[in-house]
Amino acid sequence: MNNAKMWLVVKPTVGIPLFLSAVAIGSFAVHLAVLSKTNWYEDYLVGQELGSSAQSAALTEGGPALASADVTATPATFATEAGGQVVLVLMPDGTTAKAILQTPVSLTDVQYR
Amino acid sequence: MADDPDKVWPTGLTLKEAEEVHSYIIDGTRVFGVIAIIAHLLVAASTPWLG
Repeated sequence: MNNAKMWLVVKPTVGIPLFLSAVAIGSFAVHLAVLSKTNWYEDYLVGQELGSSAQSAALTEGGPALASADVTATPATFATEAGGQVVLVLMPDGTTAKAILQTPVSLTDVQYR
Repeated sequence: MADDPDKVWPTGLTLKEAEEVHSYIIDGTRVFGVIAIIAHLLVAASTPWLG
């Protein structure tokens, strides 16, 4: 390969540090972009299930739109999950979101030790 | 010492020296590539990146 002839033109003491810092800066930029757009690293740092904060964000984001969500039209799937009912909601933008309906805890239910 | 006729300017390296330097850079790049491939496989396996 004749690429080696570049070192007849570019001094290695200049070219090699330049090459290595370009790779380092590029790699740093990619890491920055990925970590600023994802949240599974934050989940990892606080010990949560990876991707869980994305799901809960999707559910809360759906808050205001939830009222206008067409709940009745969708065949809701009911599954009891820790005492709550899980309802599949069809969002206006076509995505589905899980809503957990939990019966409110009234003071009488709470047993004081 | 009398100037080596094989030296090529502007850097003054001989072609043999240039090829030697270049081979180190190529090997280093390969090691970087292998490490990067392993890292990407680990991320793909352990994060929601690819679902």
